[in-house]
Amino acid sequence: MKKLIFIITTLLITAPLAMLLYKSQVLNLSLLPQMVDDVWNFHLTVRPKGDRTSFSFPIPKPGPGIKITDERIRSKNFEVFIDSNSDSTLATWSAKDPIKQKVTYSARIDLKPLSYKNIPKDHTETYPKGLQRYLKTLNLLPEDVAAISLLEKAILEGNEDKTSVIRKIYYYVEEEIQRNTNIKTIHEALTNGKGSPLIKAKLFNILARRQKVPSRIVVMVRMPELKSTAQAKVRFTFANEVFLNNKWIPIDTNRGYFGERPDNFMVIHRNYDEVEKIISKKRVSYSIQAERARINRFNKSEFKKEVVKSDSIFSKLSLYRLPLPLQTMFTTILMIPLGTLVLSIARNVIGIPTFGIFTPILLTLFFKETSFGFGFVFFFVVVLVGIGERYILDKFYLLAVPRLSIILTLVIMLMIGYSLFSSDIAMISQNHLAFFPIVIVTTNIERLSIMLTEEGLANTLKTLFGTLVIAILGYLLYSIHALEMFMFTNPELLFTIIGFLILIGKYKGYRLSEFLRFRDLVRQKKKKTEGISNDIP
Amino acid sequence: MIFRDLEELGILGINNRVGRYILRHNKRSNYPLVDDKVLTAQRAETWGIAMPQNYMIIENYGSLKNFHLKIQNYESFVIKPANGSQGNGIIVIKEIIKEERNGITRILCRRSNDKLMDIEEVKHHISGILSGLYSLKGHSDTAIIQAKIDKHSIFDNYSYGGIPDIRVIVFEGYPVMSMVRLPTKSSDGRANLHQGAIGAGINLSDGSTNNAVIKNQVVDIHPDTGHKLVGLKIPFWRESLELAAQCYDMVELGYLGADIVLTPDQGPILLELNARPGLGIQIANLAGLVPRLEKIRLKAPKNLLAHERVDFSMKNF
Ligand SMILES: Nc1ncnc2c1ncn2[C@@H]1O[C@H](COP(=O)(O)OP(=O)(O)O)[C@@H](O)[C@H]1O
Ligand SMILES: [Mg+2]
Repeated sequence: MKKLIFIITTLLITAPLAMLLYKSQVLNLSLLPQMVDDVWNFHLTVRPKGDRTSFSFPIPKPGPGIKITDERIRSKNFEVFIDSNSDSTLATWSAKDPIKQKVTYSARIDLKPLSYKNIPKDHTETYPKGLQRYLKTLNLLPEDVAAISLLEKAILEGNEDKTSVIRKIYYYVEEEIQRNTNIKTIHEALTNGKGSPLIKAKLFNILARRQKVPSRIVVMVRMPELKSTAQAKVRFTFANEVFLNNKWIPIDTNRGYFGERPDNFMVIHRNYDEVEKIISKKRVSYSIQAERARINRFNKSEFKKEVVKSDSIFSKLSLYRLPLPLQTMFTTILMIPLGTLVLSIARNVIGIPTFGIFTPILLTLFFKETSFGFGFVFFFVVVLVGIGERYILDKFYLLAVPRLSIILTLVIMLMIGYSLFSSDIAMISQNHLAFFPIVIVTTNIERLSIMLTEEGLANTLKTLFGTLVIAILGYLLYSIHALEMFMFTNPELLFTIIGFLILIGKYKGYRLSEFLRFRDLVRQKKKKTEGISNDIP
Repeated sequence: MIFRDLEELGILGINNRVGRYILRHNKRSNYPLVDDKVLTAQRAETWGIAMPQNYMIIENYGSLKNFHLKIQNYESFVIKPANGSQGNGIIVIKEIIKEERNGITRILCRRSNDKLMDIEEVKHHISGILSGLYSLKGHSDTAIIQAKIDKHSIFDNYSYGGIPDIRVIVFEGYPVMSMVRLPTKSSDGRANLHQGAIGAGINLSDGSTNNAVIKNQVVDIHPDTGHKLVGLKIPFWRESLELAAQCYDMVELGYLGADIVLTPDQGPILLELNARPGLGIQIANLAGLVPRLEKIRLKAPKNLLAHERVDFSMKNF
């Protein structure tokens, strides 16, 4: 019998671990999806000036280094038309009456840095038709044209490839034109050697196009520093892109990036010429806010592809094949056995007393589905309701089931009351089962009041404390996001947990709490035996 | 290892109690026999084991109607929930008083702590029991009205308020360890250790107390009466152990706690049985249960009669 249990337990514990090893070593699967960088919560608010029934504004478009999810455009009173045919996206709002109201756009944006090192030489002579507009030279004053020609003679040596030419132009604009936000024309820039970020971008653009390199000015948003306050105001800024070796290469003469764009810059429009008027302060007022979304995400979709590609048995058994809502549910549920493991250790090895067996785990779920602060407070209110109810209904001597049902109903009323008078219910409302655990906990609340009358306040508080400690421990487990994903990715670990649970179930040693309980016994016994041996001589 | 001392003394821990003794030696289906005091009493009657006489078993609110008439047949009585534990819900009435005023008769009950209760209050309390107020599982319950047992004179100087009871742990029919629980003022006359009653360990060989504790602390004298607690000799000791040993045959639970009270006239009678007796008895005796349990498991002969098993225990422990 003992042997059998030993074998079963060993198998349960080791088999899944061996499976992990197989997956990672033989199949080369990762045991966890890759982490995705923090994403940005991006909000754009625009309001047209004057009496206009329609206006447009650029909104972000996915592309190299930029991923967009959860796009939302408030459009209660207008029609919104999204044009994403060109390299950029324009949203057009229109209404019957002149628009006097702010319109908003929000999205989650995932930015990745771009980096093109060692751009090869480029000798392209002709470009497809679609790029012709990026080669058009702009109208300039004759004296500026003269100045530019002189400049080109000085900085370019003729007969070079386009990549080298662009690099030289970049160095010139980046280093020789000082940043000065008051200088707003090319003419001034050329004569003074200074220019605003926009002028520097324009100058670069002109110089590049004159060398027959497709070039454009991009409108960018600089994301706020991570350390700065959660929501910082952001404004547009400008940089360039040039078409080299069939790729648009980012260039920023204002901040000194050649072939690179760090991930705190987001391009909102890729051709300033098209939106120059649209975004001018004369026509609209806009504000942009961006903040880091707090949660780290794991890239589940990539991982799913990886698993499917491996074409192993795991691709059929993977939970990643489930529809998303089920996936979310299982990420939560798979942690419960881990919680029971903690609970078993706490109760049977340490000896922490709890109310009802699974109350701590239900509380953990409740904390998780709502929030810790709220869950904690709400639990205490429920405890008070339970004790109060018992105190009052004791006088009526109601039978057990109706009595418990009354507490349950009272707690539901509490939830209704809270929902009606609280504004931050939003976080809970998305999860319609968020309150479910506390409803079940309610049925255990009576225990507490029985205990209060039977075993006194001290014991009750001890037990309440024990329950909360384990619930919080569980909550901390849940907050280790990687652990959650690890269980979800490798659900075979549930067998390992069963194995450990058998071990704990078979544990017949002392509980830590018994060390305290029998401490005095040991001391007294020692004193007595010493007393006797002292008497003997 | 911090548990070395406990191991050396052979202290039984909860996990070990449950895993090695209760789960292996107690059949689940026999639990109701000890958990429900009504069933225990029925079983005890057929086995000829003395218990306090049950005057009434009240199972529903309907039978409460003429309670005040029926109760007048008795001088004193005790109310207890059939599924209660640790003394909860128990009221001891030592006197029934009939009061005649302006042609209206009023029935009052005097509790053991001398508080007066109107008969309506008593009924109220009983309906509380019926609603499951004192049942640990929270289910509706049955109320038992039983004869009040008086204190044996030997305990006059050793207990405050209620009556003491003698707990005997019985393993496979062999008495293993015993203690007497003596009510104190701070335990409100109740014989429960965690409420502050005295637990005094008893030598199985001769029925004399060997040590006494209040809430894990060794005490020498009774805090309310001032009498020395060690060396008290329990009368009818052998009879008490035999009674406890017979309970094993009656309910067939290998690991059992028998609570016995000494009556002034009848000798020892059984008060209740417990399928999960507590471990505090080891503190009262300053001794561990494990060596004794193992001795019985490995050395004790099987198929002995109750009195033969008692011989074994009295010789060995
Ligand atoms: N018939 C009785 N006469 C006098 N006292 C009693 C009687 N029954 C119970 N008691 C008192 O109540 C205490 C608890 O009773 P018991 O039957 O052991 O119930 P529980 O299961 O709640 O411990 C006893 O220790 C004793 O002090
Ligand atoms: Mg008892």
